[in-house]
Parts: sequence; C-alpha cells; structure tokens
Amino acid sequence: MDLLTISKWEFRKTRLSFSLKTRVLSVIILILIGAASFFVSQSGLHINDNIYRVIVTDPALLPILKTDDKFDVFVAKEPDARYMFKQGGFDILIIGNKIIHSDSQKSISALDALDKTIKKYDEARLLSYNDLNDTFPVWLNVKNIERVQSFQPVPIQKLPEFEKGKENTADAPIEKPAVEKVVSENTQLPSIKDFTELKKSSPLQEQTLATPSHFNPPIPFKSVVLSFIFIFPIYFIAQFFSSSIMEERVKRKGELLLVSPLSSSQIVLGKLLPYLLITLVMVAGMTLKLGGSPWIILILLPVSLMFLSTAFFGAIIARSFKELSFVLIFLSVFLSGYIFFPAMFANIHAISIISPITLVVKMLENEPVSMSEYLFSTTPFYLVSTLVFMFGIFIYREEDLFTQKSIKGKLLDSLREFIARVPAPLFFLSIALLPLAFSIQLMLIVLMFNVPLRLGILFFIVVAALIEEVVKSVGIYTVFSKKIAKVSTANALKFGILSGAGFFVGEKVLLLVVVASIAGSVFGSVMGIGLLIFPLLLHISSTTVASLGMRYLGTKNYLPAVVLASIIHASYNLYLVRGVIFG
Amino acid sequence: MANTFIIAKKEMNSLFKERTLILAIIVQLLIASFSSLLVVGLASFFDPSALSNYDEKVANVGIVGDGELRNFIEKSQINVYHYQDLASALSDFDNNKIDGVVVIPSGNASGRDLIRIDVYLPKSDIRGTFVTLQLKKPLEDYENYVRDIRSPRIGFEPVSLYVDAVPKKTSTYFEFIYGILIPLLVFTPVFISGGLIIDMFTEELERKTMELLLVSPASFGEILDGKMLTAVLIVPLQTFLWLALVSFNGVAVNNIAIILLLAGIIAVIVVVLGAIIAVKYKKRLIAQYLYSLILILMFLAGYLFADSPFNLVTRLSAGAIGTEALAYCAAYAALSIPLYVYLKRMKIA
Repeated sequence: MDLLTISKWEFRKTRLSFSLKTRVLSVIILILIGAASFFVSQSGLHINDNIYRVIVTDPALLPILKTDDKFDVFVAKEPDARYMFKQGGFDILIIGNKIIHSDSQKSISALDALDKTIKKYDEARLLSYNDLNDTFPVWLNVKNIERVQSFQPVPIQKLPEFEKGKENTADAPIEKPAVEKVVSENTQLPSIKDFTELKKSSPLQEQTLATPSHFNPPIPFKSVVLSFIFIFPIYFIAQFFSSSIMEERVKRKGELLLVSPLSSSQIVLGKLLPYLLITLVMVAGMTLKLGGSPWIILILLPVSLMFLSTAFFGAIIARSFKELSFVLIFLSVFLSGYIFFPAMFANIHAISIISPITLVVKMLENEPVSMSEYLFSTTPFYLVSTLVFMFGIFIYREEDLFTQKSIKGKLLDSLREFIARVPAPLFFLSIALLPLAFSIQLMLIVLMFNVPLRLGILFFIVVAALIEEVVKSVGIYTVFSKKIAKVSTANALKFGILSGAGFFVGEKVLLLVVVASIAGSVFGSVMGIGLLIFPLLLHISSTTVASLGMRYLGTKNYLPAVVLASIIHASYNLYLVRGVIFG
Repeated sequence: MANTFIIAKKEMNSLFKERTLILAIIVQLLIASFSSLLVVGLASFFDPSALSNYDEKVANVGIVGDGELRNFIEKSQINVYHYQDLASALSDFDNNKIDGVVVIPSGNASGRDLIRIDVYLPKSDIRGTFVTLQLKKPLEDYENYVRDIRSPRIGFEPVSLYVDAVPKKTSTYFEFIYGILIPLLVFTPVFISGGLIIDMFTEELERKTMELLLVSPASFGEILDGKMLTAVLIVPLQTFLWLALVSFNGVAVNNIAIILLLAGIIAVIVVVLGAIIAVKYKKRLIAQYLYSLILILMFLAGYLFADSPFNLVTRLSAGAIGTEALAYCAAYAALSIPLYVYLKRMKIA
C-alpha cells in the first residue's frame, strides 16, 4: 500500500458520491446558468432600475428618458408637476427644458445620471447621420510607450539593482523607429465601425484610437471577469476536498487509515493528489477552450495549492460542518480579495503584480510576463501553501482529528509538533511563518491603497509590526504555555534572540527571491529592506521584549507583551519613514 | 410546536457558542470593504478631483505644434511645456520629465476633415492614468467646440436642458451604494443561511445523531421547523445590523422595515430550498455542491428583471418605492408555500 493507493481510493470515493441523478441534475442547472447568463449579457444587468423618479411637463422628453431604465418618469401639467415635486418623493422636475432639483444626494446624482443619458442619446442620434466628419470630428491616436515603472513617486531607499535597471533604460537610445512604426500603422481614417467598436471595447483594453469622450484609462474588467472563470473550478474542488476530509472525521472512517503503516504526510498527500490533478485538468481545459497560453496553468498551480491547502487546514481544525463552512467562506473571500482586487489595477499600477491573477490577465491580453514577475507573485503562494499543509499534517492524528478540541488548541498543537520535530525550532519557526506574514502585509498594502497615502503608511506600519511580532513570538508562547522549556529569564533571552534572528535571516532570503519594484517604495522600507544591522537588532530586541514580557507577566498576558513589542518595532519603522509622513 | 422552539433554541446556542456568526459578520465586512474599495478606487480614477489625495496633483504634458486645441489645453489645470519638435518632447518624456505628449494638428473646426490628434502616454503606469484623466476634459471641450460648429451643417440639434447653478455631481457612488452594496449586504446573510441549514442537517445525518433526535418526543417535522426557524431568524438580525451600520456611516436607508421583511421572506425560500436539498441528498459534499450551483443560478436570475429582490432592495433603500413593494413581498411569500409543502411531504428514509 502506498500513496497512490490512497489517491485511487479517494478518487473512487468522491466519484461514487455523485450518483447518476446528481450528475444529470447538475448538468441541467449548468445549462440554466448558461441560459441566464446569456439573457443577462443580452439585456444587461438590471441594477438601479427605476431608482430615480422624474416629472416632466414636456411629453417629448419621455422617450429620451425611457432609453435609460434608471428613470421612472411621470408626465404632468406644470402646476400639478410643481405640486407633486413639492410633496417629495421625486428627484428631478423638468419644466419645459428647465431642470429643477433639490440639494439631496439622490437628486444631485440623478442630475448626473440625466447628463449621461442625454449624452448617450445624442451620440446615438449623431451616429445615425453616418457622417463622421461632422458628428465625431476629433479623433485621438493614442500611443502607449513603455517607460520604467515607478512604484511610488517618493521612493526613499532604493536597492542598487533597482537604480541600475533604471539607468540602463534611461541610457538606452529612444526607440524612435518603433514610434514611427506605430504612427504609420494608424494612418487609415477612422470609420463608423471604429466608433461602434470603441463603444464596445472600452474600457477593456488599452486604446489606440478614440474620440475624446471615449478616452479612458485602461481597466481590464473583461480579463478579470474571464480569469474568474479560471478560478471557479478551484473553489468547487477545494470544497470537495474539505468535505471529504471532514466527512471522514465525522464518520470516524479516517481512523482505519491512521493505523495503517503509512505516515500521515503520505495519507494527506495521497488524498490531495486526485483533487490537485482534477483542478489542473479543468484549468487546462478552460485554457484550451478560452484560447489562453498554456503558461496560465503554471500560474494557477500555486493558486490551486493555496485554495486546497487552506481547505484542508479548515477541515482539520473545524469542529462541525457549520464551522467548516464559515471558515471556508472566510478564507475564500479573503483569498479572492487578495488575488482579484490587485488584478483590477493591472496595467495601471505596478502593485498589481502581487496577485498571480494579474499575470493571467496580462497573458489573456497578450502581454509579456517576466520570470521575476512570476516569482514575485507566486513565491508567497507556494511557501504559504506548503506551510499550511505542513502544519495540517502535524495534527493529522487521532487526538486532533476525532476530538472536539478548540481551534486555538489545534493551532497550538501544530506549533508544538513543529517545535518537537525541528532542530533549533524557534529560529526556523520564524522563518517558516514569514511567508504568511509577508502575504498578509501585501494584502494590507492593497487595502491601504485607497486611504490617503500618509494615513495609509501610518496604519500599515503599526499593523505590519504587530503581525511580525506575533509571528516571531507565537513559538515562544507555545514553549512557555505548554511548559516545553523552563520559564526562566535566560531562556526568554535565548528564545527572543533565536526567534528574532530567524525572522531576519528568512526575510533576507525571501527578498533575494522576490526583489522587485516594491523594494524601492515606502512600503518596502517598512518591510525591512535596506540597512542590515539595524533590522537585525530590531527584530531581536522587540522579540526579546515580548519574550521577557511573557516570562514575568505569564503567558496569559501574551497580548500586552506582544503589543508592547509591536510599539517598539513600529516606532523604529516610523523613524525610518519619518520623511514621508511628517516631512 | 413547543418542540420546534426547543430545537431552535439549541441550534441558536450552538451558533453563538462556536462563534460562527462572528466569522459570518467578518466575511460580510470583508465583502463590503472589498467592493467599496473597488468602487472608490476605480471611481477615483475617473474623477480627477479625488486625486488630490496623491502628492502629484498636476500632470506635466508636452505640446508640439500650434492650433485651436492649444488654448483648450492651456486653459486647463495641466502644466504645459512647449516643444519645437516631437523628438525633443519624446526624449523628455523618456527621461520622466513630462508624462505625456500631445501633437496639435493643423486642421481647424471650420474645416471639413477629421481632426487627428496624436497622444503619447506612458504604458502600464499610474501616471498614464492621471494624464489621461486630466487631458480628457480639455479634449472633450474641444470636441464639443468643433461639433457645435460642424453638426448644424447636417441639421443636428442636441437635446438641450438647462439648470441653474450646476452642483458638483457624480452618480457613481450613489448608484454603487444603493445598487450594489446594500443589496449585497442584505442578501449575503440569506445565502449564508441556506448553506447553514444544509450543514445543520447533514451533520446530524452523517454523525447519526438524527436517530437519537427522532426517538425524542420531537417529530421529524418539528426538528426540520426548529432548524429552519433558526436559519431564517438570524437573517433579519444580521441585515438590521448592516443597515444600522450603513446608516451610521451617513447613508440614509429608507424603508428598513420592508427591507427586513423582504429579506426574511427570501430567506424562507432559500432555507426551505436548502432543506429540500439536504433531506434529498443527505451528504454534505453533494448537498453543498448542488446548493452552490442553484445559488449562482438564483444570483444571475436576480439581475434579470426589474422587480427582482435585488432591485426591490435598491429602490426601497433609495426611497424610490414605498409600501407598494409589499405587493411584491406577498408574491414572493406565496412562492415559498409550495416549496414548504413539498418539503413537509418528504420522508427521511
């Protein structure tokens, strides 16, 4: 009996759960979904239908306003109309061709919607003249020229590599021939067809030809929606994986496997294998059908691993189906946010490459993806999913699978296993947990992007410090609270130094792999890129504070101890970026 | 009946004990923050006034050539630099001194030919977005200027409405908040409850605790009702919490009572549907899978027509409809009756 046997069993078990009836039913529902999405794409989404109430006195306005479903239009004679408007419940009153509105938010936004509707209506009429020279006389030839991307306008510490790259391109001769080529490509006159295509395509792709009113920055909505279709099977398969694991726990069938000669890692990997393969096959099928590059599969591999690993871990720590559902919904919402939100800003901002989906979007738009971009966005996924599997496997055993231990208890159990199995555990635990901290920090950067820059950095510094301090001290907490080592001052100092140094080493190694444009930014300097000796001292001293705090206050005061450490950590980082925040 | 309440109380306790509800609320908070981030982020790209948050407020644009357009660009807020020829402008562009180059064409408004303008922008760069937005206004003004001169030639008359004192206006935020955010906050608890009833049910079946429950004085129907009652009742509770939070943030939500009623009624439909699936398929894996498929279908269907629950919530919360919506509530309530009757006739075998 080996790993593959487990895979075969697992595959057969899940397949058998799908009776013929279930399969037929799911095909029927899928067809209905297809039909519904066809109707939606035909008639458009009915969002905001009849949200604005308008009274007009001129019946000729009725057909114009009716071109937009947002308006609920009433026609009345002038005195009645004025009376009705005064009574409330209406947003806009149009007497003849004079618009009367109130100061409410809704009325003002109705005014804007009215503006847009009329613009659209006029444009449609202009188009029907079939005379471009007199109706759409101004055209823009837009040429997007590659320049060195800058992450932020105010980099304070740049890595040498980053600056070098910049100089190189600056020194390179301007590629005039390329520019001229673009010009020559676009010399044919625009036609009505160009305009209708413009309306259809914007704002999906980078524009090369546009009228001023359709001149918009590129936002890759379509590609993001398309990449959602790629991710979709991954959600479902991760659900099946967790359901299967949970079912074995609930029905206690898994006990038999545990007494077999196989190790728990073999059992878990054996079970994982069929789900991973099916995911990849489905992704490959989608890629083939939608005509994407095969590299998309390679980009989605770490994403699949991430969803499967969290689904597995969720199934191990949950106490009931309900809890599992909520844990999984929570994790998938969080992960989806992490991967889809930055992708919306593909082609707009360099930060978007933290998400692998951005790379998928780029590939769908036939843009090149570099190896360093791949490493930058996928390394955290590979590392975190490996980590999650590892911790899950640690507690894949009788006492954690078939008892009603709390989630916190199980998390501590897996940490304890790590400490028992690995030499110099506290040093390596900091390293192992680092990708997790790194990913959460990247997520934070994304969230901070819409807050005013200074406030965003301030908040980021404080939370990032807290995350790092928790990661560094959680091992010490486990050691002290489970009484694995003696709670003494000497030990507290020793653990603090080990843990802090481990984090420092891990950070530098990780950065070697993923050094990218982010290193030159304000956020990068907060994440400890740059000077070497101070970060080392900082990591050690702040962790030692937390460790000593637990030594003297006891482990039940873990929270105040770690908060104190974070304050020290955050003040150092604040000092580093003082120029940006206060200057 | 009394047994129903005992079951409901037991389920409610376990929900609070496992702190699952707290996770549910965090999930919604995440959804809300993601979607609002998305709209605020994207809307701020289209609304240059929102850019004042950033350090660089004004775009630096190079202009090559002379013509009517020049005045329009110079009048706008853009910093304009004049260049003799395209090559020197592009060289400054490449050295990041300017972020865009506009080549002004010689044609003018009174002519008959198309006016073609070459615009050079940085590719894949946030500054390209800024420049695009700041150039859009003068370019659009110019387009309107040319069109005003030319379109009378073919006898076109634009729709003209006028308003005193045009306020600074955008409909993006308003339509997002009422059209997407509020319906999402109202219906996420409904969808969660549908999954919840499946979990409650399949767990009892798979752990074989249902057999124990059945030997108690509670009948199968009462157990069903008790569990469904819990799943339905928590919906208006969560929804109310969200609407209160939204109102607290300065968004006026109208007709809260009717919205809660509608959410409750839709919750009955979804929960009964979840229960039917759970009783029929018994295994969590299959039941949750089918439920998710049906959920997608219902979600899409919700956008298909104007009187769907989604759009009703939009209109109710924005105050575009009032007690008239009660008729729709009644219609949806009527829809749940045959489903409930079907469920009650099912046997647990």
